[in-house]
Amino acid sequence: MKSLLISLLLLGAGLASGCTLQPVQPWQRGVLAQSEMAWDVDPLMATQRRQMQVSKEAASGGPTLGGGGCGCN
Amino acid sequence: MSARSLGSAVLLLSAAMLFPAAATAVEVGAAAPSLRAADAAGRELSLQSLRGQVVYVDFWASWCAPCRVAMPHYQRWQQQWAALGFTVLGVNVDTVRADAERALKRAPVSFPVLYDPQGQWAETFALPTMPTAYLIGRDGVIHYIHAGFREQDLPALEARILSLLGVSR
Repeated sequence: MKSLLISLLLLGAGLASGCTLQPVQPWQRGVLAQSEMAWDVDPLMATQRRQMQVSKEAASGGPTLGGGGCGCN
Repeated sequence: MSARSLGSAVLLLSAAMLFPAAATAVEVGAAAPSLRAADAAGRELSLQSLRGQVVYVDFWASWCAPCRVAMPHYQRWQQQWAALGFTVLGVNVDTVRADAERALKRAPVSFPVLYDPQGQWAETFALPTMPTAYLIGRDGVIHYIHAGFREQDLPALEARILSLLGVSR
């Protein structure tokens, strides 16, 4: 019974190790180059949204820059 | 099944999970691994079947810009030196075959291109980067590993290949 418990514990550890991040190998980088892996699927739409956010939120730089500012530019 | 035998089975399983098979890197001076893959026509090709020739195994992908810059140069080598017992062997690692075919339509090549969408060859060779090419002599031994590609590397590369072919410039 004890050995079963230890084994189950080890199995759990083994399964959990599957959740660790595996480095992307050089030949797998094509997947990262696919459009669905991009932050913004449509770059034109993203630019427009950023423009909208800059003007509405008065935060120059849009979502990519930290900090506020007076919003007067 | 007793708890003990069940326990040992689970133990074995967990050990297998904790220590996955590690890929061994291919080095200069080592024999090229024997691998098989199919080309566009579905014909099986292996490095073994090219023994006796000087082989330049080039790992490439459509998303890899330097790989595509290199392609026309490799095609020129193939045309110039095929009669001397030289061949380029392209190994494409694209996961989508159509991407590779589109790239080949833009830069057609006459040397054999194998498709390795699962990355089986890439894993065996443990590519350090993309592109990586392996210069294999007539004896099946790896003589040189070229990681990356720049056009200024060409003269040195060509000199290496020609010396393996036994041609003096």
